[in-house]
Amino acid sequence: MVVRTYQDELKYLERINSVTWRIKKGFVENMNVEGMFFVNEFLEKLMFDELKQSCRSGGFGGFLPGMKQIGNVAALPGIVGKSIGLPDVHSGYGFAIGNMAAFDMADPNSVISPGGVGFDINCGVRLLRTNLTEKDVLPVREQLAQSLFDHIPVGVGSKGIIPMNAKDLEECLEMGMDWSLREGYSWAEDKEHCEEYGRMLQADPSKVSPRAKKRGLPQLGTLGAGNHYTEIQVVDEIFDEYAAKKMGIEFKGQICVMIHCGSRGLGHQVATDSLVVMEKVMKRDNILTNDRQLACAKINSPEGQDYLKGMASAANYAWVNRSSMTFLARQAFAKMFESTPDDLDMHIIYDVSHNIAKVEEHFLDGKQKTLLVHRKGSTRAFPPHHPLIPVDYQLTGQPVLIGGTMGTCSYVLTGTEQGMNETFGTTCHGAGRALSRAKSRRNLDYMDVLNALEEKGISIRVASPKLVMEEAPESYKNVTDVVDTCWWAGRQAGGRTSLSGP
Amino acid sequence: MADKRTRDSESPGGEHDSDGKIEKQPRLEGNASPRDDHGDYGEYEGDDNKGGVDDEENRGGGDGYDDDDPYDDGAGGDSANIYGKYEYLDHTADVQIHAWGDSLKEAFEQAVQAMFNYMTTDFSTVEMTDEHEVEAQGEDLQSLLFHLMDEWLFAFSAEPYFIAQKIEITEFDTENFRIKAKGYGEEFDISKHPQGTEVKAITYSNMQIHDSDEKHEVFVIIDI
Repeated sequence: MVVRTYQDELKYLERINSVTWRIKKGFVENMNVEGMFFVNEFLEKLMFDELKQSCRSGGFGGFLPGMKQIGNVAALPGIVGKSIGLPDVHSGYGFAIGNMAAFDMADPNSVISPGGVGFDINCGVRLLRTNLTEKDVLPVREQLAQSLFDHIPVGVGSKGIIPMNAKDLEECLEMGMDWSLREGYSWAEDKEHCEEYGRMLQADPSKVSPRAKKRGLPQLGTLGAGNHYTEIQVVDEIFDEYAAKKMGIEFKGQICVMIHCGSRGLGHQVATDSLVVMEKVMKRDNILTNDRQLACAKINSPEGQDYLKGMASAANYAWVNRSSMTFLARQAFAKMFESTPDDLDMHIIYDVSHNIAKVEEHFLDGKQKTLLVHRKGSTRAFPPHHPLIPVDYQLTGQPVLIGGTMGTCSYVLTGTEQGMNETFGTTCHGAGRALSRAKSRRNLDYMDVLNALEEKGISIRVASPKLVMEEAPESYKNVTDVVDTCWWAGRQAGGRTSLSGP
Repeated sequence: MADKRTRDSESPGGEHDSDGKIEKQPRLEGNASPRDDHGDYGEYEGDDNKGGVDDEENRGGGDGYDDDDPYDDGAGGDSANIYGKYEYLDHTADVQIHAWGDSLKEAFEQAVQAMFNYMTTDFSTVEMTDEHEVEAQGEDLQSLLFHLMDEWLFAFSAEPYFIAQKIEITEFDTENFRIKAKGYGEEFDISKHPQGTEVKAITYSNMQIHDSDEKHEVFVIIDI
């Protein structure tokens, strides 16, 4: 790695417009394409501070800044277009989190990288609507939060309550939400409002190691820890009446439920296993990368195909997981309001995947190409009339769910044509971390964080109250800055929901 | 606010200790021996900020942990290294474990203990009533450490859901890169052990193993 001064590094960065930056070739070695990232002035400072800090440390200890990682991804074999950092980008494992990259399937050297998907395969966000209003929920706020907490197992070491045996798990991995539907945990129409209809067809459970399955079995139907949550939200403002109506978001004060979780230990182990395999493959096939963390294999090699099939199985697991929690949340609401989930109109508005690689058709320089699109910590955002989005959203574009942090608002956006052209139909996924967990623990007190939420009228239930500061709003970038940047960069804000609740 | 905490502690997700009281319980002794050659590590303090420095004072005070609730003293989770020879360094999304010892073997043991300590917010609730053994095989030192930690993560994540308070490497073969290790602890029980942070995976990310006559230490980033 070349060690340069911060001033020298800046020569490789060029501002294109108020929110767009170009990373020129040479910023890191072997770049096949240029890099690009989107930031507004607040986020810009965070990004450049990360770079400055790394220049100071001279490469000892610490970690690579997000910008360098975007550059290293641009140096992977077979990459086309640009290596793109979305507004919530920050340093991650190999790829930055909030980094997307597309690889040409027709190029035999193109690679797939598990680091471009992330450890939590198909971690994602699902939004349910209800016909309840803020007035209905406020009086029972605490009880409802408690009820959800009682229904949904959370935190490290918690075990699922959906009865499962090894055979069920195999079927989950193969069938995704079709399994949930067959077993009665989800509604027929739920699938319609999920990416891939809640099932990746290339899944092959035999490509998932027994070790991964053993981790996955007890954890199905558990929320997990870290930044995963179930949140009751209130519609705060509607920017686009028409799009919102299409999603069943009808009025301010309407109650929605957002679920953020992924593929649990199963997905983590699939990623770990594949990284170990690919380390070896890289030596065999002589694949050179700038960073050992960017372990990868040619898409068409047996190992590349095995990973795709294993990843698809883990993705299916994640959809079953979110569906199980949808089921539990519906039960909790039905009991609380002595009604049925049906009468409460608890339909899925949409379900997006944050960490996934998909084969998609895109136009590149006017030519149609089949690409393998890695999205890590980013969200697919397809425009109106795209064949892969549901009938209900053909005129509005795909709903894009941007989860905020505790005590801040979340957003629902819609995909646009411009996003399709510039970022392969990809946008940000959330606020993005600004402080490390260790720093959050040092700088914030968990009681202050809990008190601040209480003051805002937010009820919260957490598995680890003492760690609540790790996920405090102060630990994250401002989600409104992130979304504004997306908007300026040409994607469009649709409805927007702000929240109260656990 | 007191109400709220009580409610939290009654939640079925685990009987969480509702406030800092539990932190004032006497700490385990034994492996909390102070790092005597702190000066040698000064170079790391630059980017890890002063977590280690703060705790140096704690350690310097011997077992005087009762004077300060470490979770409230501004040092936050970093205080966790009062249990052993390790600390948690800054990383935006993940956690970097820095562990050391009088030998490389001890540094490896400490790295595993550091991982387990992250999984509960009160490591002292873990009793050493049970034993579990793992074997790990690698191709070089780095992959050996990786697989050792991955084996223990697996022991925690699936049957027997084991959380260890203390790790002892019984066979440490750095020629053929094989390790046998014993852990002393018990089954993780959310009604007994306050839930900490979930470790998703061990990574090779910026993994460093330093082994020379005067220093034996490792850096591992765990994905959380």
